[in-house]
Amino acid sequence: MDIAALLSWLEATSLAARIRDSLFLFPLLESFHVIGLALVFGTIAVIDLRLLGAASTDRPFKRMASDILKWTWAAFVLTALTGSLMFLTNAGVYYHNFYFRSKMALLVLAAVNMLSFELTLGRTAHRWDKAAAAPPAGRAVAILSLAIWISAIFAGRLIGFTTSRAKQTAPAPADSSLEELFQK
Amino acid sequence: MKSFAEWLSTTFLSVFIQNHNSWAIPTIQSIHIVGIAIVLGSVFMIDLRLLGLAGMDQTLRQTSNRFGPWLMGALWLMLATGILMVIGEPVRELITFSFWLKMLLVAVGTLIAVIFQRAVRKHEEVVETRRAVKYFAVLTFLIWACIIVLGRLIAYDHVWGSWSPAARS
Repeated sequence: MDIAALLSWLEATSLAARIRDSLFLFPLLESFHVIGLALVFGTIAVIDLRLLGAASTDRPFKRMASDILKWTWAAFVLTALTGSLMFLTNAGVYYHNFYFRSKMALLVLAAVNMLSFELTLGRTAHRWDKAAAAPPAGRAVAILSLAIWISAIFAGRLIGFTTSRAKQTAPAPADSSLEELFQK
Repeated sequence: MKSFAEWLSTTFLSVFIQNHNSWAIPTIQSIHIVGIAIVLGSVFMIDLRLLGLAGMDQTLRQTSNRFGPWLMGALWLMLATGILMVIGEPVRELITFSFWLKMLLVAVGTLIAVIFQRAVRKHEEVVETRRAVKYFAVLTFLIWACIIVLGRLIAYDHVWGSWSPAARS
């Protein structure tokens, strides 16, 4: 199956149609995407600032990482899931969008950056665990991490400005407003 | 409010943002999102500590001292970028139900944050041992989550039906 066929198949799924035809689902997916990314960036920044020696310098690094990163991953799952559902509604348009592609590339960079840390300094963390800052390579990883995630946020916001929203296929959505929803 | 919004949209700064909207608006909004990430992240770390789910090697006062200043600093950043967004698109922002409900929750959330940090500084043990503090932790997180939802709904104010002033006019 070629990519164009896959993209149009994704758009044709009943799940994609359900989201497109609802007044609330897409805005709510966007909202939970923001909540998710806020927690991803917020918690990663806590770790990065620790590596840089800019904050939490009195806390052992390994303890902090095991304390916080599980929440980062949980938030990442929420963000990826809501992001995938939004992608589904207009797959062809997003796939060809420059900022969407940039954002995906940034996510790959973030993964490579994280892996390079885990496979090297992460394994010797017991040696510098209680130091106020990580060794220079660790600080470089932290700076890169902050830069990559902030860039991903900018790219993500730009996707919304450079793509047209998918058209509703149903003429009148069943859930026409929150006001009516509350009156029922 | 409508005439105020229309007047605001004729001011120099507003016209400047409108004339550079291809980059100005997305840039301001992105900085606003980075700001909310620092706010929600800080609230989250304090709340996890209150719930006993993270940061238990730190006292409550240490946790509040670590994240409180970042929370307040990011709130100032959000105020600045938020004001720029209102100046840049006054009608889109001010003539909505979502915006004003959001402002109400922001006021409540900020007031709670200020009072909480003061209480931890003065009566740490009292705050820590109260059972209600766990409900407080969940509630404050929900307030900031709702603020994020309402912020996004400014762009979709029609979901409120006739509650939206944009739909009435």
